[in-house]
Amino acid sequence: MQTPRPGRDILDRALRASWLAAIFIALVLAPSHPYDALSLLAGQLIAFLHFIFLRKIVKLFTEKRGGAGALIAIKLVLVYGGLMALMSWGRVQYAPLCAGFALPFAALFLKSMMMLAFGAGPASLMRRGKPAVLVAMFLALAVTSPARAADPLPSTSGTHGATETRPGDAATPDPSHPQPGANAAEAHHEEGAAELPNWLVILHDWNPGNPVINWLDENQVIVFAWIAGFLFLFISWIAMRNAKMVPGVLQNAIEWMVESMENIAGGLLGEKHIQRHFPIIGALFFYILTINMLGIIPGMKSATSSLDLTLALALITFLYVQFWGIRNLGIVGYLDHLAGSPRDAIGWAMLPVMLPVHVLGELAKPVSLSCRLFGNIFGEDTLIVVFVGATAMLIKASLVALAVPPMAGITALFMMLQTLTSIVQALIFSLLATVYLYMMLPHEEHGPDESHAEAHATH
Amino acid sequence: MLFPAALGLGLPIGIGLAAIGSGIGIGFLGKGAMEAMGRQPEILPKLQVAMIIGFGFAEALTIYAFVTMFFLQGRIG
Repeated sequence: MQTPRPGRDILDRALRASWLAAIFIALVLAPSHPYDALSLLAGQLIAFLHFIFLRKIVKLFTEKRGGAGALIAIKLVLVYGGLMALMSWGRVQYAPLCAGFALPFAALFLKSMMMLAFGAGPASLMRRGKPAVLVAMFLALAVTSPARAADPLPSTSGTHGATETRPGDAATPDPSHPQPGANAAEAHHEEGAAELPNWLVILHDWNPGNPVINWLDENQVIVFAWIAGFLFLFISWIAMRNAKMVPGVLQNAIEWMVESMENIAGGLLGEKHIQRHFPIIGALFFYILTINMLGIIPGMKSATSSLDLTLALALITFLYVQFWGIRNLGIVGYLDHLAGSPRDAIGWAMLPVMLPVHVLGELAKPVSLSCRLFGNIFGEDTLIVVFVGATAMLIKASLVALAVPPMAGITALFMMLQTLTSIVQALIFSLLATVYLYMMLPHEEHGPDESHAEAHATH
Repeated sequence: MLFPAALGLGLPIGIGLAAIGSGIGIGFLGKGAMEAMGRQPEILPKLQVAMIIGFGFAEALTIYAFVTMFFLQGRIG
């Protein structure tokens, strides 16, 4: 295990694992979609070549030998030329080619993450958690099974069944007039504003009419929110699995983040209350941060670019704040707070004005929270989509050499801006929740707050 | 004037006006925060938090205009 250059070892084994996975998936796909299986293998081959060339180039550069330029040229022609030729050939499907191309990257990512977590690769899951592997294989089979061949009225009954069996889902686009699945999905996509295709859209284009894929595609926001939630849980679980007094790398990073967030929120809320309220404030911050950051990964989407999720988060915050307001102030005190604390004749005279104003102010808080988060993330995503679209248009006009380098640079710049926006918006959301909470809590806790500040000053 | 045409003219102007207001607000906030930082550098962490919250409030006004634009965009035709 402890080789002098462990990264190289991981790369070799990840490539081998990705070949095994590609051949397995191709064998599964071969009876129903023979061309898709071939395209998957072609994508895998091209990504494999990419890694081989990359390693050779890096070796030439680190050992300061010549010939790296020529190798780069050969690689560009072979890998990207091969990719473009395959795509323009027409027979090759776009989705399986992309999936094949992504396989080694995914294997490398998974392997390095799991090595970091368990000191063993994903194969160790086979021994540890057999149910999880079985569920994953079942899901893979359900997704790849062609619904078209199964029944005579394929897509209509497929979508209909998917919507009928889950009556609680309000996210289905238009259940009143059932269209064929592909058309309905296209209309669904054209209704919304432009966005980059994520892997669910690609999956849907590849195998339309499959009920599982249809359900996933219709509830993209929920799926990506789940992915972010599980990622968040997984990373924190890895970091805190073997918590030690002298922390390791990941534990140190996570502890630093949590502690600084607690300090920031504690400076607003005071020492006494932060103990009680940090769980929800910190969870809001890290959950929103994970969701926002997910949008930077190609093929993923930040779920906060939909008003549904941000409104849900804001409503949770609103209910939490009101609950603690009632609990801390009591019913009478809460109503008094809403009425603007009338103490004299003028205060009571202004009551009919002040009460609606305060109630409206409380109701405006979730709206403002959700719209701010949604607008920022959606605007950032739209900006990137516009630039990617412009690049695509220039490539269509066969201005590749002119279009790609500057446009890619601009897009990368905006992606850095997106990183900043993600962090700042998550911070603003959770800090505003803290401020709203602070307004609801009893205000005479200046004593502990000041002593807290003094304790910091004396340190 | 046709409704879509009025909308197409009005939305960008509205966003621009909102952005002017937010820009002035954020500028004042930044100015005040910078001056305070220069006078009293040790207050930096607390100041930054308050500044970011202020930025959030000031920026939200433009975001409202932006969200309104998204809601009305489809009706431009």
